[in-house]
Amino acid sequence: MKELRTLSINGEDRELAIPHHWTLLEVLRYEAQLTGSKQGCDKGDCGACTVLLDGEPVLSCCTLAMQAVGREVRTIEGIANGVTPAAIQQAFDVTGALQCGFCQPGMIMSAAALLEKNDDPSIPEIQEALSGNLCRCTGYTKIYEAVQLAAKGLKQPVERVTGTPTEGFTVIGSRARKLDAIGKATGATQYADDIQLPGMLHGKILRSPHAHARIRSIDTSAAEAMKGVKAVMVGAELPTSFGVIPWTPDEHALCIDKVRYIGDGVAAVAAVDEETANRAIAAIEVDYELLEPVLDPRAALEEGAPLVHDEDWKGRPRKTNLCKKVELSFGEVDAALESAAAKVSGTWRYSGSTHAPIEPHCAIGRWEPDGRLTVWSATQVSHYLHRELAKVLDVPETKIRVIQPALGGAFGGKSEPFDLEFCVAVLAKKAGRPVKILYTREEVFYAHRGRHPMEFDFTIAADAEGNITAVENDIVLDGGSYHSFGLVTTYYAGQLLPGPIRFGSYRYRSRRAYTTKPACGPKRGHGSVQPRFPLETAIDELAEQLGMDPIAIRRVNGMVDGEETITGMKAETCGILQCLDSVEAASGWLEKHGKLPDGRGVGVATSMYISGTNYPIYPNKMPQSSVVLRGDRSGTLTIFAGTNDIGQGSDSMLAIVVAEETGVPMDDIIVVSADTDLTPVDLGAYSSRITLMAGTAAKEAGGKLRKRMVEAVAAQWEVPTEQVGVRPGEYYDTDEPEKVLPVREVLWLTESASGTLAEHGGYWTKDRGGDYRGGTIGASPAYSATAHVAEVSVDENTGKVTLHNIWAAHDCGRALNRTLVEGQIEGSVYMGASEALTEDMTYRDDGLHFGPNLLDYRILTSLDTPLLEADIVETVDPAGPYGAKEAGEGPLHPAIPAIANAIFDAVGVRLREMPFTPERVLAAIQAKHAAE
Amino acid sequence: MLRMQPFEVHLPETVAEACKLRSELADSLFVAGGTDLLPNIKHGLFTPKHLISLSHIDGFDGISVVDGAIRIGAGTSLDVVANSTDVPPGLAKAASLVAGPQHRKMGTLGGNVMLDTRCLFYNQSTQWREALGYCLKAEGTFCHVIGSDKRCVAAHSADTVPVLLALDAAVEFVGPEGEGAVNMRQLYRQEGRDPVQLDDRTLLTAIVLPPLPAGHVSTYRKVRTRAAIDFPQLGIGLAGAIVDGVVTELSAVASALMPQPKVLKGMDAAVGKPLDEAMIEHLAERCFKQVRPQRSLHGDPAWRRHMARVEMRRGLEELVEASQ
Ligand SMILES: Cc1cc2nc3c(=O)[nH]c(=O)nc-3n(C[C@H](O)[C@H](O)[C@H](O)COP(=O)(O)OP(=O)(O)OC[C@H]3O[C@@H](n4cnc5c(N)ncnc54)[C@H](O)[C@@H]3O)c2cc1C
Ligand code: SF4
Ligand code: FES
Ligand code: FES
Repeated sequence: MKELRTLSINGEDRELAIPHHWTLLEVLRYEAQLTGSKQGCDKGDCGACTVLLDGEPVLSCCTLAMQAVGREVRTIEGIANGVTPAAIQQAFDVTGALQCGFCQPGMIMSAAALLEKNDDPSIPEIQEALSGNLCRCTGYTKIYEAVQLAAKGLKQPVERVTGTPTEGFTVIGSRARKLDAIGKATGATQYADDIQLPGMLHGKILRSPHAHARIRSIDTSAAEAMKGVKAVMVGAELPTSFGVIPWTPDEHALCIDKVRYIGDGVAAVAAVDEETANRAIAAIEVDYELLEPVLDPRAALEEGAPLVHDEDWKGRPRKTNLCKKVELSFGEVDAALESAAAKVSGTWRYSGSTHAPIEPHCAIGRWEPDGRLTVWSATQVSHYLHRELAKVLDVPETKIRVIQPALGGAFGGKSEPFDLEFCVAVLAKKAGRPVKILYTREEVFYAHRGRHPMEFDFTIAADAEGNITAVENDIVLDGGSYHSFGLVTTYYAGQLLPGPIRFGSYRYRSRRAYTTKPACGPKRGHGSVQPRFPLETAIDELAEQLGMDPIAIRRVNGMVDGEETITGMKAETCGILQCLDSVEAASGWLEKHGKLPDGRGVGVATSMYISGTNYPIYPNKMPQSSVVLRGDRSGTLTIFAGTNDIGQGSDSMLAIVVAEETGVPMDDIIVVSADTDLTPVDLGAYSSRITLMAGTAAKEAGGKLRKRMVEAVAAQWEVPTEQVGVRPGEYYDTDEPEKVLPVREVLWLTESASGTLAEHGGYWTKDRGGDYRGGTIGASPAYSATAHVAEVSVDENTGKVTLHNIWAAHDCGRALNRTLVEGQIEGSVYMGASEALTEDMTYRDDGLHFGPNLLDYRILTSLDTPLLEADIVETVDPAGPYGAKEAGEGPLHPAIPAIANAIFDAVGVRLREMPFTPERVLAAIQAKHAAE
Repeated sequence: MLRMQPFEVHLPETVAEACKLRSELADSLFVAGGTDLLPNIKHGLFTPKHLISLSHIDGFDGISVVDGAIRIGAGTSLDVVANSTDVPPGLAKAASLVAGPQHRKMGTLGGNVMLDTRCLFYNQSTQWREALGYCLKAEGTFCHVIGSDKRCVAAHSADTVPVLLALDAAVEFVGPEGEGAVNMRQLYRQEGRDPVQLDDRTLLTAIVLPPLPAGHVSTYRKVRTRAAIDFPQLGIGLAGAIVDGVVTELSAVASALMPQPKVLKGMDAAVGKPLDEAMIEHLAERCFKQVRPQRSLHGDPAWRRHMARVEMRRGLEELVEASQ
């Protein structure tokens, strides 16, 4: 029943029609239109929905709206002082404490409640107070800083540009605030589920309860007959298959004749509300013929295993579940193994993990009266989505517009098309009304595309000086039900390993198996995080055998500027030695390694990662990134770019670059991104490509405009162009620095002199990579380098590992914004530590995911996460804008082996399986005692 | 989102009104903080037609101490219990370790005492349970933990309860037959489908602790993966008294095992003696022998059993420290 009741929200009495069975969150978001409070799990596990009830932080998703009657509700929209954001909101903005921002409204409400009672909270007090608010982006470190800053009574609005720019620059290297931060901190930013269109319907997808079955028939008649149901669809309506990699299109929008994991989509409905849609999908009858689930990748590869895909996408019968195999060899591996002074070999297992962005996937489809389709989607690849929508729906690309609203975290989990995006389009067409589909948290787990579980038969050898002479790796990847990016992953697992540690010779075989589980794909550090676990822990074993210090052995093997890996990938700059120096000093390694009391230890590890790939996903000669820049007489510059800002700050990066080039202050720069009608193509947010590629494009566009602006001023002042200087907000005479012209007037002059203020820039891939089949995969314009030192203690009685710190030094070429780079490093370290210690995608032997929710799948809370220490190393790579390369993925890799190595230093056990749960660690300790 | 099926919410302002509604309305349930019940409704585990909210009952919360006996209103939030200096330290500690900060602001002590038993195969969505084929506790015929078609062993998972039992607490209630009280050691039964031995329509009004003995010590030890949010994988509540280094009373209760919290036997071996290393070792061993963790909760049962020994030892050491 619905009842008209008055709720006091943000000091205002709101008379609202409250359905009794709705939670406070539902009423706030969908009835009161206060969409600042977010929904991440809908059942009390994440804290994104936190609001204040009579001043106390509560979870609005577990509070009945009726229970709030007669009490004071305060939401993120209600803590500002008029239009001035509250100190805590400003503090989150200034410190860079938010990335995607989706956790922030809840986080900020918890922080506000803490500050109400404690105006000088310590770090442990903040960790405790925020421990019910999960953040997947930041690693919490900057959040602690923000709360302490707010406590110090931040009262003044802070300048947009803070921090000191790098020498020789005016904006680059500063701590300029993120463009989108204050909107997110105040709850004003619209994410996909915050969009409500007139007449909008709600869709739901019926999912398979079987891991492997043939669909005999689907009866949708009962659903169609239900009151309030406006459209129903099944897979046969979209027979064209797709795949993010054009060579492997093995997926359909909805299953047609077979389901391949529990959660695979079978049919979809749109109805007047979500509850009706839920009832409607429950009324759909599917007749399944059950097939044997295929769960173990090794067994899947054996002859005679049940086939996950009977045919490939061309209709050719498949013989095995092998979906990709790569075998490559470089140098004389056998000879090197023979003559080795030290050798380590064995089997390692890397467990599967998932991205778990706090925002669940959401998409909305609307057909315009002129026959064009608009899809708003929480995607990190609007361009690929645009292409695949056109292909699968059989609608010309000119008739489709894809818009990415603000995105609540992705990490690779939203980097390909998903069923909901096709379904909203079809359902909206059938119903003649806009349709929204919002995944439940469980569906996010089923969509997955996360880290592939991998098993390694791994051998490494070194000579007496510690030079790595040979590495051999036989890799089995558990791919799950579909290809996803699997072709690339299968290569990456081998290709990306030989650096920043030099290999004398290298051989690998990499095989990806189809299994009947949710498809694996690219999670932050795509394909290359896993093999670093055997490599970097085995290097420690080599060091032990050779009596070398673990940092020293890495120095011996560390690549230097201009060096090429044995797989043919050239790093123009490689700062690994500087990174090792940094973490050695910062962690106090020399006083700690091997010297800490029993049960406490430190461990080191390194990594290298690509800054985009030379090879675009579909072959073409067009730029991978393009930017259009326009200005007007108001003094505003607008940047149009197809880039996907997924919280990492790519919009801000573009503005920084253009501000540096043109002297127009960041405050006056607007970024329009990821809207296929408005922005030139960019391939999207994956493989850490945006800063290097779109940054270069923006630099070109900005540079062209700057040239015109300088010429216009020079002509006006009748001086040579070399005499015109540019600094934020004004142009000046370098001979007479007091002689200035405000930048707005410079724009007028320029428009008068040379016409419309419009420029563009692009980034073309350079043809690079190894000269062999597959040698282009993993070839990148630039490679980052990272080193970590982790310090842990291990409870010998329980096996529990406590993380005390991770010092991470990362060579990002050039930090265009120090705060953003630190944020990427800290967030990466956090995510790596979380998968090392707790995360695991486990399935029952019938293929059922063991706990697809944020309570059973445990991502670390603030109380489990120490203050992380990020150090930026700059090597100025010629490939990147101002020398910049990636920072968003590389810094994740070393966390896992660094923790494993620290566990060894603490208690003398070598772990070759993940995650490092107390059970596993204790068993290893007990086995060691038994052997002694 | 996880939408709930329609029901009507009632906001009684007195205990009598709440009890009357509960008795009169078929298919009704009480809801206090809602942190246990609402996720369960969202998962389709309960389908009430009426929810009787306890949030608007006057005087349903609060802690009072009369002649040393401590009375805690059933509606008192866990956060208030955790920060109270009137309650024994072990109870405050247990309350402080429940879930996360927001849950403790919302969740009540009464709700914690009445918490439904939990199981990995049960606390999941309707779709998930359909894929599983359901289980004995809801809609199914078979227990996935012990393979039985007769018994559910879902785990008692409330953090405050082991300490409350160790403290010899009682609950006061109003049921269809009127007011009553029962010692909490008689409150639970070994059946996960219906773990509380009271008529379903009974409203808990207070938790009452007897006056604390001289030299009172108490604590709670909790095993969980993360330092927040997670339910216990094992919980041990300890209470007793140590006077001049000699134990005068000792009681220990373990939970997150079976539907019923386990009152550990043999703890009186310590009475009249100091809690020295040998005694601690002896009691830890007794604890280990009596607990049998199940696969109903995450974590290897053998490891959780091992943890019972470790945590018992650490709990006892905490008591010694507190007595000094
Ligand atoms: C993510 C998450 C993590 C959690 N972690 C923990 C944890 O670590 N430890 C833990 O112990 N709990 C945990 N909980 C469960 C819950 O938060 C607490 O147990 C809390 O104390 C429940 O109280 P409540 O008032 O919210 O109960 P409700 O949900 O309101 O009620 C729970 C049950 O008790 C009944 N009930 C409530 N009050 C009364 C009364 N006065 N008389 C009769 N019946 C009543 C209700 O009908 C219902 O059946 C967690 C919950 C979530 C969502
Ligand atoms: S213990 Fe068995 S019957 Fe009880 S909830 Fe778990 S699986 Fe179901
Ligand atoms: S949405 Fe409420 S806790 Fe996750
Ligand atoms: S900023 Fe916290 S989840 Fe993205």
